[in-house]
Amino acid sequence: MLKISNLTKRYGEIAALEDVSLLLQPGEFFGLLGPNGAGKTTLMSLVAGIRQADSGEIFLNGAQFRHERVEQRAQLGFVPQSLALYDELSGEENLRLFGRLYGLSGALLRERVQEGLLAAQLQDRRRDKVQTYSGGMRRRLNIVAAILHRPQLLLCDEPTVGVDPQSRNAIFEFVQKLNAGGMTIVYSTHYMEEATRLCSRIGIIDHGKLLALGTLDELLLQLPFAEQIRISRNEQSAGHLDALRPFGEIVEADEAFVLNPRPGLLMSEFFAAAEKLGLPYRHLNVTRPTLESVFLHLTGKTLRDA
Amino acid sequence: MRTILILIGNEFRRFTKDKTAIALTFLVPVVLIYIFGHVFGVGGSGAGPTGIPLAIVSETDAPVAAAITAALQKEKAFKVITTQKDAAGAEQPLTEAHVRDRMRGGTLRFALIFPPDTQSDALFGLKLKFLNNPRNEIETQTVTGLVQKTIYSSVPQALVSSLQKQGANFIGEENFDGFQHSLANGVAQAFGGDAEQIYSNIKNGIIDLGKGGGSSDSAASGNSLFESLIKIEAEEFGGGKVKSPMATRAVGGWAMMFLLFSLTAAATSLFDEKKAGIYQRLLSAPVRRTHILWSKYLFGMLLGLVQLVTLFITGRLLFGIDITSNLGNLLLICLAASTACVAFGMLLAAIAPTSAAASGLGTFLILTMSAIGGAWFPTSFMPEFIQHLSKLTIVYWSIEGFLQVLWANCTTLELLPTLAILFGIAALVNVFSVWRFNRGQIFH
Repeated sequence: MLKISNLTKRYGEIAALEDVSLLLQPGEFFGLLGPNGAGKTTLMSLVAGIRQADSGEIFLNGAQFRHERVEQRAQLGFVPQSLALYDELSGEENLRLFGRLYGLSGALLRERVQEGLLAAQLQDRRRDKVQTYSGGMRRRLNIVAAILHRPQLLLCDEPTVGVDPQSRNAIFEFVQKLNAGGMTIVYSTHYMEEATRLCSRIGIIDHGKLLALGTLDELLLQLPFAEQIRISRNEQSAGHLDALRPFGEIVEADEAFVLNPRPGLLMSEFFAAAEKLGLPYRHLNVTRPTLESVFLHLTGKTLRDA
Repeated sequence: MRTILILIGNEFRRFTKDKTAIALTFLVPVVLIYIFGHVFGVGGSGAGPTGIPLAIVSETDAPVAAAITAALQKEKAFKVITTQKDAAGAEQPLTEAHVRDRMRGGTLRFALIFPPDTQSDALFGLKLKFLNNPRNEIETQTVTGLVQKTIYSSVPQALVSSLQKQGANFIGEENFDGFQHSLANGVAQAFGGDAEQIYSNIKNGIIDLGKGGGSSDSAASGNSLFESLIKIEAEEFGGGKVKSPMATRAVGGWAMMFLLFSLTAAATSLFDEKKAGIYQRLLSAPVRRTHILWSKYLFGMLLGLVQLVTLFITGRLLFGIDITSNLGNLLLICLAASTACVAFGMLLAAIAPTSAAASGLGTFLILTMSAIGGAWFPTSFMPEFIQHLSKLTIVYWSIEGFLQVLWANCTTLELLPTLAILFGIAALVNVFSVWRFNRGQIFH
């Protein structure tokens, strides 16, 4: 479906994207996970044809994607990070405009606009100006505006930024439904929960480089440990951290200290030491590692700190 | 109080970081004050009109014609034209027929003609013709006043010479000389002075009527005397059939100013769309940058055309401006003006880094162009270098076009140079804007 070969893009001295290669199969839901400024939007804009790469190639359905061949863009839909809508027009007018730009007209355009409004749950507000919509409604409309022409590939650049949890869930369900219908989706985010929940395959990107690529399980296999130990954060546990460091790397999380066990560590060995220190078992919890752990392992920093 | 001072300090800090606000606060008023000062003569000797073309045709050998021409040439308000180039490129004295042609074509607005009978031995006084195109009322009144003043202050000697010649013819040279000697002696005895010097002055026609230390009453009586002696036959070119001269003169300038404001706002909407991320969506669709720019440009042209037509229709309804008798050419010049104005707006969007900067720069340039382009008052009232600058503005050429159509009722052929200049300005500005858009950040 989409093949990216050795893509590089620089802004002056800054390498926004460096030698990135990627292959996407039809129907995939691919997540691009990375912190702000990692190069996600640059990669999206190159694939969308908004910017031109300094070097490298993009193939869409086997054909080389050329920046200047605008007709190729009709094969994809792009949901920008910003709410790219005309505020002074109604939701329906926005959809009609973008549909017409993709070549839709007449009954087909009316049908697609109607479907879009239904999907975005905006039928009741179809004639209201977009500036009167809530953030969630705008975000949904932003996505719908990109799929009126039924693209084979949908690029979503952080489509849930600034959205409340309820609307976020609605958007998740919406894009999952699109993917279930056969649409290939590239979804960029800096929320690992989104990537974990939605994506069948994930690429971790930082400083313009694709650091890792695979399914969640494949990515977790890159870690030198299969489990983590979460230690409740309190005065008692904080006092024993130095004594626990020989068992692995300890990272501070929101409500806990997370111990990434050193290779070869036996859990019984750790729990015996914890018992000796007087740490109650209820303060210890063995968990499966997350994408955050993978990112930390690959970059030495958390997604939030990056 | 401390809180207020902190907030005032913050306001100052924000103001000093806003270049647009600084320019609008200080630069715009300074430029406009400079221009207004010149127009209304606040600037002292350097103020007032300069370089207004005034053609002088002399069909007489009378010395008075040369004297008046020399006096007018000294007047900084005028650029006196006395010759024309023939087919071989040689300078030839102007003829009345040539001047009339140029007056009809609108390339000349004022001409003074000394006919063969300007001064005759049989008649005491002068006969002159003054041709004018009163398409700008303030300028015409000023020029007429200046021409009269110059003539009145330079002809007494010539008139006295004429009177002496007639006297000598009538009573004989010898008797007339004797009369002048007697007159000089009488004046010397009654008022003092050297009789020989007084005789020399009388003989050479050196007199002072209503000038110098004379009272205003004597000055008025002097002028009144000359008015009865100097017959200036005035003839108007163009505008004779204009139904509402005042409104017809003014409508073009004001229309242009508002057109520039609205089209600049339309063009700078590019910034708003960029901010909203619209271009990311458009450029990921089958849409090119050129599509976006052309759509903005053509919309601006149509908006400008509709706005101008609306303003002219309003002028017709409210003030009776005749827009129908040369409607085709009026639409042509409206289209040319809109094209040039929207090009100006696109240029602002291309060179300004932000919407605020574009608006600020636009306000400054629009007010300046309106002032120096003749939208508010005649360009001839401004310093000469500004008059040259004014010819680089869209406002100047658009107003020229509107007056050619509405005032002079010119043909499409006669309008072509003005149309070409406006479309030419638009084309040049567009080439630069596209170059800037391709290098700038507006689509990134």
